[in-house]
Amino acid sequence: MLSRKGSRLTERNVDDLLEKLRGLFSDITAKDIMVTNIISLTKDRTMWQAKELMRICKISGVPIVDNDNHLLGLVSIEDIILALEGNHITDPIEKHMTKDLITFAPDVDLEGLIERFNRYRYGRFPVVDSEGRLLGIISKKDIIGAILDKFRIIYVHDARRKEVLERNVDWFDRSLISGDYVEKKSADFLFHIDYTEVDMAGVGSAKLKSYLKTRTDDDSLVRRVSIACYEAEVNVVIHSGSEGYIYAWYDESVIRVRVEDYGKGIENVEQAMKEGFSTASDHVRELGFGAGMGLPNMHRYSDKMVVVSEARKGVVVEMNFYRNGRK
Amino acid sequence: MKLSEIVQLLNCETLNSVDDSNPEIASVGAADLMSDVLAFGGPGMILVTGLNSPQCVRTASVVGASAVLIIRKRNVPETTIELAKELQMPLLHARMSMYKACGILFEKQISDALEEGKQID
Ligand SMILES: Nc1ncnc2c1ncn2[C@@H]1O[C@H](COP(=O)(O)OP(=O)(O)O)[C@@H](O)[C@H]1O
Ligand SMILES: [Mg+2]
Repeated sequence: MLSRKGSRLTERNVDDLLEKLRGLFSDITAKDIMVTNIISLTKDRTMWQAKELMRICKISGVPIVDNDNHLLGLVSIEDIILALEGNHITDPIEKHMTKDLITFAPDVDLEGLIERFNRYRYGRFPVVDSEGRLLGIISKKDIIGAILDKFRIIYVHDARRKEVLERNVDWFDRSLISGDYVEKKSADFLFHIDYTEVDMAGVGSAKLKSYLKTRTDDDSLVRRVSIACYEAEVNVVIHSGSEGYIYAWYDESVIRVRVEDYGKGIENVEQAMKEGFSTASDHVRELGFGAGMGLPNMHRYSDKMVVVSEARKGVVVEMNFYRNGRK
Repeated sequence: MKLSEIVQLLNCETLNSVDDSNPEIASVGAADLMSDVLAFGGPGMILVTGLNSPQCVRTASVVGASAVLIIRKRNVPETTIELAKELQMPLLHARMSMYKACGILFEKQISDALEEGKQID
């Protein structure tokens, strides 16, 4: 925790902090962050076509490539404005695209990326391989996204989990996210998962959804909560071999959901979090579950998520959903 | 596209009330894996599926989908129809193959709900 006791950040602990963060992020490279599904054009198209593409796809730059995907240039909004002003919007792109491009190699690390963004001050950069073929595009937003993602994953896998396990407190009585004692009786919503038929999985989440609809009009928030809760409920039914409970607390700014069971537990949470990892039986698969997307989906739809489990000690999944998106 | 148009196109049996008050169908999501539906499905989607258990209706409802179309299965269990009524989810049944049903809808250029966005920015 940074300066918990209200102390100011001194230069010394900023350096310490940066040093720590550097370690955490050193494995992120351009290739992990870049956006790869790129819309590009060939140079024989017109500036007009580039403009239309940018308008329709709501993008602010189009890379120009040859037939082998070698990067030749970039058309930016500025190029379009110049073309409009100079009355050559119907010219082929080749004549007016920006040709001297700063590009990144795929293995530039985060530190290198930040340094280059500061040095060149463009909004986005193409990533090319050693032969100049376009691999992806990186904007500042992608960097921030990657850092946030990393934080969330660290959060899920390490910090809280470790702390909770090491302190050896009984995690059935604590909030995994805040560390506070949870007053389960105070839950605004409670559902006992007391059935074992796969056919019924989701009954509790459907009820939670109806309940939330009585509290808020924010359909997309309700949708996120219901989906994540559904996945957790299904897991209790198909994996735990025990009963479980769904608790939810409704607040103006945050909805907290906790799904717990007392079953066989997860031995390796890290592995279980991976997309596609599943130990589900064929029978369960025939019913449409067991794709190994449950925990990843919960992670995706919630803003904060912590899973704590040990073999034979059940599973507690706690998720927070903020009204104003990720926090 | 109106749900009633889909009913006609695929010669569907309608298992609960389908009328003009149903929302427009903006996309098609074809899946038998409920987790796929949970990952990609959303409002405006018709779920086309080979499953006929109540689960497909419940999953569609949780993601806020607009309708469910069950494909090929000989019949649809009463429990599924009951749940669709309860959750007010329009439920259709077509006896053709998944391939054919999707082909017909694809020809109408309805967008694919399960395909991820293809834009930068
Ligand atoms: N409540 C639970 N109890 C025991 N094991 C679980 C539980 N939840 C998840 N798991 C384990 O984690 C794996 C991954 O879960 P998930 O991502 O939901 O995929 P799936 O449910 O499709 O297998 C499961 O296959 C199972 O081995
Ligand atoms: Mg699951």
